[in-house]
Amino acid sequence: MTNKKGDQESPKALANSTSQSATQRVPPPETSEAIHTRFRVIAAFWAVIIFLGFPIWWKTTSIYRAHLPIQEMVDWDDGKICRPVFPLEIHVATPQMQISESQHLLRTTQHTLDDLNEFAAHHLRLKPVNDTSASTPDEEHNVDAIGNAVEEGAEIALTVRVLSQEGLVSPRSELHADTTQLDVFYPPNHVPLPSSSNPPLSAFIAKELQGLYSEEKATIGHILSGETAGFDSESISRRLRRSMKYADTYHLSFSLFTPGPAPSSWDIENAVKEYLSPLLHAFAPISNFTIDTQVQLYATFSPMAPPPVYDEGEAAWTLRKEDLSAFINAAEWPLNPSIGSGPTLNFILYVPAPSQSPLVVKENRASSWIVPQWGGVYLLNPTLLTDQSGQSNPPYLTHESLRPAFMTFSHQLLTLLGTPTTPASLPLRLQTLTRVRAATLLLSASSTMGSLARLTESLPSIPIPATVASSVSTTLSHLSATCSYLRDGRFAAALASARVAETEAERSFFEKSMVGQVYFPDEHKVAVYLPLLGPIGVPLLVSLLKEVKRMIARRKANKAPAASN
Amino acid sequence: MTVPSILSLFLAIIVTLWISPVVSSPDYHEQLFLEPLPKSSLLASFNFRGNTSQQSFDNQHFRYFPRALGQILQHAHAKEVHLRFTTGRWDADSWGSRPWNGSKEGGTGVELWAWIDAPNDEEAFAKWITLTQSLSGLFCASMNFVDSTRTTRPVASFEPMGNHMGPNSLHLLHGTLPGEVVCTENLTPFLKLLPCKGKTGISTLFDGHKLFDAAWQSMSVDVQPICSAEGDCQVQIEQTVDMVLDIERSKRSRDDPIPRPLPNDQLVCDTSKPYNSEDTCYPLEKAADKAWSLNEVFGRTLNGICPLADSNEQSVCLRVPHEKSIFTTQGASEIKHDDGFTRCFSLPHSEPFDLSIPEQEVHTQVPIDEPVLHAERTIVGHGQERGGMRIIFGNPSDTAAVDFIYFESLPWFLRPYIHTLQATITGKDGVRREIPASDIVTDTYYRPAIDRERGTQLELALSVPAASTVTLTYDFEKAVLRYTEYPPDANRGFNVAPAVIRVLDGADAHPIYIRTTSLLLPLPTPDFSMPYNVIILTSTVIALAFGTIFNILVRRVVSAEEAALLNSQTFKARLVGKLVAIRDRFVKKETKVE
Repeated sequence: MTNKKGDQESPKALANSTSQSATQRVPPPETSEAIHTRFRVIAAFWAVIIFLGFPIWWKTTSIYRAHLPIQEMVDWDDGKICRPVFPLEIHVATPQMQISESQHLLRTTQHTLDDLNEFAAHHLRLKPVNDTSASTPDEEHNVDAIGNAVEEGAEIALTVRVLSQEGLVSPRSELHADTTQLDVFYPPNHVPLPSSSNPPLSAFIAKELQGLYSEEKATIGHILSGETAGFDSESISRRLRRSMKYADTYHLSFSLFTPGPAPSSWDIENAVKEYLSPLLHAFAPISNFTIDTQVQLYATFSPMAPPPVYDEGEAAWTLRKEDLSAFINAAEWPLNPSIGSGPTLNFILYVPAPSQSPLVVKENRASSWIVPQWGGVYLLNPTLLTDQSGQSNPPYLTHESLRPAFMTFSHQLLTLLGTPTTPASLPLRLQTLTRVRAATLLLSASSTMGSLARLTESLPSIPIPATVASSVSTTLSHLSATCSYLRDGRFAAALASARVAETEAERSFFEKSMVGQVYFPDEHKVAVYLPLLGPIGVPLLVSLLKEVKRMIARRKANKAPAASN
Repeated sequence: MTVPSILSLFLAIIVTLWISPVVSSPDYHEQLFLEPLPKSSLLASFNFRGNTSQQSFDNQHFRYFPRALGQILQHAHAKEVHLRFTTGRWDADSWGSRPWNGSKEGGTGVELWAWIDAPNDEEAFAKWITLTQSLSGLFCASMNFVDSTRTTRPVASFEPMGNHMGPNSLHLLHGTLPGEVVCTENLTPFLKLLPCKGKTGISTLFDGHKLFDAAWQSMSVDVQPICSAEGDCQVQIEQTVDMVLDIERSKRSRDDPIPRPLPNDQLVCDTSKPYNSEDTCYPLEKAADKAWSLNEVFGRTLNGICPLADSNEQSVCLRVPHEKSIFTTQGASEIKHDDGFTRCFSLPHSEPFDLSIPEQEVHTQVPIDEPVLHAERTIVGHGQERGGMRIIFGNPSDTAAVDFIYFESLPWFLRPYIHTLQATITGKDGVRREIPASDIVTDTYYRPAIDRERGTQLELALSVPAASTVTLTYDFEKAVLRYTEYPPDANRGFNVAPAVIRVLDGADAHPIYIRTTSLLLPLPTPDFSMPYNVIILTSTVIALAFGTIFNILVRRVVSAEEAALLNSQTFKARLVGKLVAIRDRFVKKETKVE
């Protein structure tokens, strides 16, 4: 090497002198003590980094993730844990039959029912009752029964009274509109003989019962599996689309809108008391309601909305069906949702201006329609007052004139709440609603659990606070309670616990502190700390590498003499 | 009151209407009061008042009361609420005392105070937050920024206006947002609260462009329970809009808003000036008031009357001398009041109404009533660290002293030194004397600030002797804020809410309020790239120190010659050596050329 340098004839005297003198002044080999010290220094630095720095960094930057029963949550979502069943208990009273006759009737009817039923999750169980008095429970009693059922056994879905009646050719049935009672009348000669395996009376009762519950069955089937058996699937899914999401409390907002100065008042308090309160009272076990009302004058149509057209043939102003969606002037009409938890259902009573009265829907002369998941509209065309200045609306609407509107509103309310259209008895429809709601909530809470599980799996950087874990465990326990209540036929209790499950599931899913951290990426931390970590990290790493290299070399050197020996 | 003004007479009429519980009469009233003010200004004062029975309010059956507001109040358990949106400055020197004696105006920006029914302070505050959040949404204003630092609980400055019955434990909370810019987005929800919604009645005159172009305007919403002696209660909502329009400015068309000089032939010149000639003119102020009409000033005509109000109500009143002739549209009837200045109009039912005053010279002037107290507040001092507050109260009356409550809510980052409170008084003789503050201040309520939790609340009961001016001063310190606490426009300064002055006038049941202007407090503002600079600089210093120490600990110490030899064996040294050789070759060539 020194030769080479000499060849290049470096002009610098200093370089020459060093290269020449270098041969004499090779530095002494490092003492093993010095090498040891250096090793210790580097090891000490790295020890501090590994045992102190790294744990502190880990501790301070890690996020708290409470343990969640992920597998169980996913299983709920997949429907592996609970298969909801709806056993309906139906009491059959046969006051005019012998015990053996009635037992036979029951047995054959149950057989026929089981044969007819295609949907296993929903089945009817007949039970004899000896109580011949068959007290017709009034509505209040019925409501209490649902309310108390949390502590009791299975609820009685329906009471069938089988009565003989002279002068009948074939059996007939009569459903009480305001109770859960079905009267079946049969000609006395139709008493089933113990020998007949399929008496006509049993077949009749079975068919009647099947008919009563066919819509419910289809709805539940639709909710559980997305497909319907034996019922118009289109109408079921349309009804489910229209109805509101289940809530503990609904705010009902009744508004009187009119484009002119009159009517400026209405007998709303009495109208609500008379036409709505009974219905809302019947709903009490399922949901609560608050009511508010307002009068809004000078509520004009939106400028974008097509105006009503006068139809000569109908002698009325008409709105086209496809324009109804633009009827509500959302920008100007004060229809903001009510304060407090729970959705608001808006019911609008629109009194058209005298110059545009009467106002109807063109296609079918209807005066009301439903806005899905929002509310209902009713066009009220009051008798106009005529005086010298022309025609005008009455300044005050009596509760008698509000009657048709509120009848329509109660019907719309039932639809918006998802009540089925059959059977004719309101208590039965509410019972159906209880079961349908319980099923819906069970499924939605389960699927929320599944989503939460997937979310926490897919986003490892979000924290999971302990409250979420406790909400999840509450949800899961209430879900299994719901499931077992359903199995026992205690539907009111099932709904109550499904409500808790749903609220807790929503709370855990929409936990605020889980969302905030998502938008704080690690790149930012690196960008801020790189000026520190770079200059410190490089010498540390280089020294570590050197030391490792040296150790490897020494080991080789140690090995080499050993091998040569 | 020093001068029994017509305005207060007018107020008194309304007050009697308030007090007498006439249940049979319509529960909705609206009135427009117009008064030309000096310097070609026009005061327009709109008032809308609706009542609803307490029972139907509790059952949420809303008729005259807006549903959205009613639900908010019920949700927040607010029994009485006062909300103010104000912009501009009332020029008391030329315009005299304030409309409604200042009780329907707020400080610049948004001001809100409410009596909330709650068992204890914490719950009252929680409900207050609910109230501010909801009102914020309803009125499109940033009232959700009224947090604990901007909330005070005044002790003596406000009294409930309504009659509160029953065993309620009411808590008064007061919040201000002096920096809030009041604009059209606040007017739209305000109009929606009215039963006639700006479609008929006097509210048809509202035009956001004119309203917020006014020299001073104040919108207010007051909700309060009104109970008769028998105990049947009503919930009253009163909305007012007061504005002072510059007539000349308002008359300019919206398409051509640039002020232009008068054409030469319309100028009235001062011919006594020596330089007056064909082409030079010293324009004279016109002796006569400007001509104006509703249509010109507001840009619209008044569209009939709101049918909910009493149809015989005189809903437009004008305060000009009776000798002035006024033209109105047909169908309106004019009633002149005995005081010689006020006249009111009954409006036609459904036709548009306009009112116009031609330019004319009159000999009587409507007297301007002197305000009871002048107040002025400024920040004095210099520098980034300290400053001072100076408040000047002037009592114009020659005979009577004025007693009042002075209420200040200061942000926490302005730390007052109350021990430095000093008072000077300038009497009739014009001599300025220092006096102990206790001579002027009869009572003090002071609640010091806690950093980032609450602001300072200072309430002083003061008495200013007749015909004298009192100046109060105190020093304060400016806090240094955290980096994230600065707003985006930090260099603009921080708004300090106006002080509220409540004049205690034993004779008058209705208190007189005066508000000072809001203040702008410059705080030491850092360079906002600072944190990154600091991070990088500190990191560099630490890295340098670490590198040095680490190298000393780890490196082997050898002599220079030895080092060179060691280095020459490495790849790097060989590379450097090659490079040096190449350079040398070039240097050699250059020398050869020479």
